[in-house]
Amino acid sequence: MDTLKEDLKKQIIEQLNLEEIAPADIQDDTLLFNDAGLGLDSIDALELIVLLDKYHGIQVTNPDEGKNAFRSVNAMAEYIRNKRD
Amino acid sequence: MTSITSFCRITEMQCIVDYKVLVHRDAGSEDPWLKQIYKEQEFVYPKFHKMDMLTQAGVLACELIRRARPGIMNYPDDGIALLFANCSSSADTDLRFIRSYDQGGAPSPSLFVYTLPNIVLGEIAILNKWYGEQMFAVLPKFAGSFYTDYAPVVMSTGAAALLCGWIEVVGNKVDVLLFLVEHTADNVLEFSADSIESLKQQDSSLSDLKESSTYLSDGYIKGGS
Repeated sequence: MDTLKEDLKKQIIEQLNLEEIAPADIQDDTLLFNDAGLGLDSIDALELIVLLDKYHGIQVTNPDEGKNAFRSVNAMAEYIRNKRD
Repeated sequence: MTSITSFCRITEMQCIVDYKVLVHRDAGSEDPWLKQIYKEQEFVYPKFHKMDMLTQAGVLACELIRRARPGIMNYPDDGIALLFANCSSSADTDLRFIRSYDQGGAPSPSLFVYTLPNIVLGEIAILNKWYGEQMFAVLPKFAGSFYTDYAPVVMSTGAAALLCGWIEVVGNKVDVLLFLVEHTADNVLEFSADSIESLKQQDSSLSDLKESSTYLSDGYIKGGS
């Protein structure tokens, strides 16, 4: 099991107050901002930026980076690993 | 005739709709009071959990009135005006937002969204697709006459019904009264300052009101003399 991805799912649920969603409901490739996925909105995008800073010490300063980084849990995990390297 | 056809009263311990206590607060529950009502009434609206308490209170009370008076959804999308007020504006959320600066060094964007009281109106409008006139006033204190004075103003563009609200949430203190005003020929609760004041006393004198008021057969509330 990829603990980073599992941690991310828990962090997303907590940070975004997705109280009716469990980590198991979020697949690694679930589209975060698609209505067929989690249906997140622009405020949630800001919360994800706060999440990366708060839990992972990563500041997203380039909006274009965020667009790709927040596509899915897979994308977020990859983004975090790239920033750590 | 303009009448109050339904109301919802939420105080610190009870949630009342049309003189009926729907939910008693469970002091032993880990859930906040408004979330208890949400669960108990099986309301499903995931966005509810992202809202601040002021907006949760408004959305919940509106939903309960909508369930009590389903005919409300028959009005055209601009047929319902909203007239709300309180005395603390969004101070509760403003303070939470300030405190969020101290937690992790980053303010919460979700709290910032709700640092205006009229966001409550926007959320209710979005959820129900009501696009009529809206007004949220910040008053020194509750006054039934505010609603009767301003109703003609917000209904002047042709709204057929008016949803009025007093939504005061500070810390754990919740003081909510929402009531629906409609034109009806039936002898239901008169839309007057005195009637509104009596509904505001709902929590403390429920038994008195029960004695002086009855339900009409079609579900309307009927005020006593």
